[in-house]
Amino acid sequence: MSERPSLWWVDWRLSRGPLVRESIGRFLFFCLLGFALLSLLLSGGVSRFLAGRYAITAVLRAGVPSSDAEGLARKAAALPPVRSATYRDPEAAWKEFLRAYPGMESLRGAGGNPMPGYIEIRIRPDRLTGADVEIVASALRSVPLVEQVLAGEEWLPWALRAGRLACRVSWGVFGAFLAGFFLVALLQERARAVALAGDFAFLAERGVPPGRIAFLRAAGAAISGFLLAAAGTTAGGGALFLSLRKFPFLEGGIGPPSDLLLPRTVAGAVLFCCGAALLSAAASLLGWRAARSGRK
Amino acid sequence: MIEGFRLGVFSRGTTLWDGLDFAFGDAAAWFVTGPPSSGKTLLLSILRGERRPDAGDVLVSGESLYRGNAALARAWRASCGHVSEQTIAGAPRTVGDLFHRSALAGDGMRKREREERADRLLEMVGLQGASGWRIAELSSSERGRACLAAELLRGPKVLFCDGLVAGAGVPFWEMLWGLFRALAREGNTVILAERRIPERWALAAGNPEPVGPFRVYRLPGPAVEVKGEPA
Repeated sequence: MSERPSLWWVDWRLSRGPLVRESIGRFLFFCLLGFALLSLLLSGGVSRFLAGRYAITAVLRAGVPSSDAEGLARKAAALPPVRSATYRDPEAAWKEFLRAYPGMESLRGAGGNPMPGYIEIRIRPDRLTGADVEIVASALRSVPLVEQVLAGEEWLPWALRAGRLACRVSWGVFGAFLAGFFLVALLQERARAVALAGDFAFLAERGVPPGRIAFLRAAGAAISGFLLAAAGTTAGGGALFLSLRKFPFLEGGIGPPSDLLLPRTVAGAVLFCCGAALLSAAASLLGWRAARSGRK
Repeated sequence: MIEGFRLGVFSRGTTLWDGLDFAFGDAAAWFVTGPPSSGKTLLLSILRGERRPDAGDVLVSGESLYRGNAALARAWRASCGHVSEQTIAGAPRTVGDLFHRSALAGDGMRKREREERADRLLEMVGLQGASGWRIAELSSSERGRACLAAELLRGPKVLFCDGLVAGAGVPFWEMLWGLFRALAREGNTVILAERRIPERWALAAGNPEPVGPFRVYRLPGPAVEVKGEPA
């Protein structure tokens, strides 16, 4: 930083101690918000959790050759909403059945394996909607090799509604924390503007326009807000990355660590930093205004 | 030239003064005396462009401070220094902070240059090595002189001092006398507002001009002193 005094960072030049304490507090808060934001962006609220537990099962007719079934699975996997489509032959289906219901070996008597082969279709978390599920299910129902499609249509709408509600609540809590940040920042800015009122009056008496002081303070707040948010989000993202690596079961609800570097995740984080900069500038201006109106 | 025309102030429900004319020439030290509560501080704030008079106008080099361009008034304030009678407000905790704040109001000055000039100015007002001193531990006289030095850092063309001479105390009158004359010699204008003028200064200044409740003295320059006037 230049040694030449200027009105840029005027608060920093006049009152470093309180500003350092506020910045540390804001950085820690941004770490928390960054962690929450990235978790929400990756998980899509509860979409990833639901998508991890939901599958469409296409039960195949008896006697369908494996090659035809695998070809059908490949075609199903090519559908836009589908994340994966896996064929299970009758033998694998029987083994899964026995794992789920031990002691039922007697069912496989003289008639042989009673279990049909099936294709398990998983939907992408961001496409888990009633319409997309219907597209996949109707595409499979029209195939002659498929005897039945189990898509859980009876309970899926309810689950999706609950998921949307949970998603809104999650973002609402995040928004409330962001509003809390704004309120605290506003009070801090106001307190600082009051504490430095004598200095600002000193500068104004010596020909420095108050509007210029307010503008430069707001600009400084915006830049520091952006940098603090960027640093906090990076630290929060690092903590999330380590958490996902250390506790892999979290991936089921949040997502893989590699998704942190997806362009849309990065874009979301950058938008968040810009929002933090705007909120910081607004808090600075409103705090300045409140402090000045309080003096009148 | 700073001119006040038909200046009037209404305060506390009454007319404090009205119809006063002032003329402060450039490159001179002026001394305005007046009894307590006569409005000396108010007069200085009006002349600085801080407080609009209730009647009349102030002209600086022929331009109105209050009816003219706002940018001109700001430029005028930027060219002024002001040593207040009040306590120091704001964040400064040390004498060095006063210089830092003063430099912020100016066009900018490198830290090293500021510190060197601050040391010289502090020495000039009898506060050698005071840069790190805490303001809370300064006496009233030291505060006034420290503020004066901090204002001089920016090299103001016009310096307004309110109660500085009385606050500085008798031992520093000679130093201030010399300083104000030196400033005037360099082309600056100094306007001092005090309750009373030191006797020796009054003798040197000669007859004051009475303006309402005030007496306006023009302190003599060094040339007058050479002719045998007391210093």
